[in-house]
Amino acid sequence: MTEKEIDCEQALKQILEYVDHELEDGNQAAMEHHLHTCQSCFSRMEFERRLKDKVGALREEKVSSNVTNRIKGLLDSF
Amino acid sequence: MGLSKEAFENQVMDLLGRLHGVARRLTGNEADAEDLVAETVTKAWRCLNTLASEDAFKAWIFRILNNTFISDLRRASARPRLESIESEDESEDEAMFSIFEQMHQPFLLWFSTPEQEFVDKLLREDLDKALGSLPDHYRVVVILSDLEEFSYSEIAETLAIPVGTVRSRLARARSALQKVLWAQAQEYGLKGSPKQGCHGSTTDAP
Repeated sequence: MTEKEIDCEQALKQILEYVDHELEDGNQAAMEHHLHTCQSCFSRMEFERRLKDKVGALREEKVSSNVTNRIKGLLDSF
Repeated sequence: MGLSKEAFENQVMDLLGRLHGVARRLTGNEADAEDLVAETVTKAWRCLNTLASEDAFKAWIFRILNNTFISDLRRASARPRLESIESEDESEDEAMFSIFEQMHQPFLLWFSTPEQEFVDKLLREDLDKALGSLPDHYRVVVILSDLEEFSYSEIAETLAIPVGTVRSRLARARSALQKVLWAQAQEYGLKGSPKQGCHGSTTDAP
């Protein structure tokens, strides 16, 4: 089967969906093919992915003993 | 689902850092974050029978946290704020901003990959501040996508908005986030990199 080809403009429109793993199979394959052949779009994708990962890392936080004690107290009350 | 009290407690304590981290970014302050986590844990205990399996605990309790936050926001907010969370504001057709495009100037090409270094050097507090500065409807979609790793359809379901709106709102939210991060970088006095000394740069980027 011939792979669908996309240009840089089309790739850039879909780059966030690619990084979010939201592209459908056909579009995903076309995007991967394009990224293998275009350094500029690959760099853009890498940038968006790294930024997403960095923002995502905010999810983990050291919890203060006050919060821990409050939640432990709450759990004990159940 | 017959989850024991001990198993429930263990699950909650294992996830406490993440629950609090997400709550902190959703609410924007420590006191409300603590209240949100406490309210979430209480609701989770009361509706334990809705948990399908122990494996689903994490997704289940985060769903309760999100729904609790959104319900609280709906109750506390003035109507315009509520609308901004649930519907697309057509007036927000602002130009998309990209740090990558800002840094990909020909005269910066002597850097290997300045835009990747920009991201690598970003401090947690810079990101936190930038995320916290976004309006609710932008901040919430970024949190659901990037911190909670929800799919577009899960975000759509949580916020009761169409998937297409999630897609466009996320793109705008990330553009807005990058705009704030770029402004912060410029405040630090460097235009090609975010921190003094990252590259030893004194370039005159636009």
